Amino acid sequence: MEEQGPSALKELLRLSTIGVGLVAATAIGLALGYGLDWLLGTRPWLMLTFTVLGVVAGFLNLLRDVGMLKRRPW
Amino acid sequence: MAPETTERRMSGKMFGLALGGLVLANLLVGLFLSPRHVALQHTPIVQIPNFLAFLGVPGVWMPPQVTFTWIVMGILVLGSWAGTRSLRAVPGPMQNAAEVAIEAFHSLLDQMIGKGGRDYLPLVGTVGLFILTSNLMGQIPGFQAPTANWNTTVALGVTVYVLYNVFGIRKHGFLKYLKHFCGPVWWLAPIMFIIEFIGHLARPVSLSIRLFGNIFGEESVVAILLGLTWLVMPYLIFLVVMLPLSLFTAVVQTFVFIMLTMVYIAGAVEEGHGEEHH
Repeated sequence: MEEQGPSALKELLRLSTIGVGLVAATAIGLALGYGLDWLLGTRPWLMLTFTVLGVVAGFLNLLRDVGMLKRRPW
Repeated sequence: MAPETTERRMSGKMFGLALGGLVLANLLVGLFLSPRHVALQHTPIVQIPNFLAFLGVPGVWMPPQVTFTWIVMGILVLGSWAGTRSLRAVPGPMQNAAEVAIEAFHSLLDQMIGKGGRDYLPLVGTVGLFILTSNLMGQIPGFQAPTANWNTTVALGVTVYVLYNVFGIRKHGFLKYLKHFCGPVWWLAPIMFIIEFIGHLARPVSLSIRLFGNIFGEESVVAILLGLTWLVMPYLIFLVVMLPLSLFTAVVQTFVFIMLTMVYIAGAVEEGHGEEHH
């Protein structure tokens, strides 16, 4: 079996990109909420909701990247 | 073993030669050609007059990122043509370089995506070579990196986003691909769909901002350091620290971009949906 997984440098580079994902997901949730609010006129509730959803999405991506979602026993 | 070590010595020599050539070019331009006031976006050496003004493009010249994108395209097309012109079993230098690049991409694709990886060589190879050439072009005096502009990096990010979703849809079918977004239990599906959608949208945003921030930030630090040319120390800092760091970051940012592209493609295309399951 030649399968050894990526080298340490590649893993390091992959892990270094996780932090920006958290910020980007929160910002996108905020932007989506702001846009939907502007369309439907329901300030500020949709903006708050979508910001929270963006934070949740950011953490979901974070956990998925770290590999915590592959292990069955939580 | 002997040809391998001489090859390594030769490539080390070539790298040293290239680095020395860049240092010399920057030294000469800095000592003799630079004005004492350096603007952040100095007028580049190559400018194309604006022939698309009827479409609404402002200004007298084409925007510099567009000009330099075309120059990068020209370099890549010329390089590929020269590399595949007369294919021989024992390759000449250009064909050798092309084979090295293709083999590097193939090994990365096999490692990250697995079996069907080589099908995605056009996207990953083009994006990788484009970003590498663009980043390295920013280090030549008088040229600007097109990736130092948010327009170019957003174009790259959006292309990768659209394409990895298209690959997933093409492989699994539209409804089955959407089922990936829906989470483990059916009654969580609506909110999981929104959350996954936001998480997926974070990917092109983070890709584009990361590339733009790294390359443009380097460029602005170099501009500030060179704005102090009448002092010796900032110029030495530029030559000794920023120039090698810029070259290193150019390669690293390329690698991070294509690695993340391959991770996203692998996530969209993987069989056996139960492997990465919440």
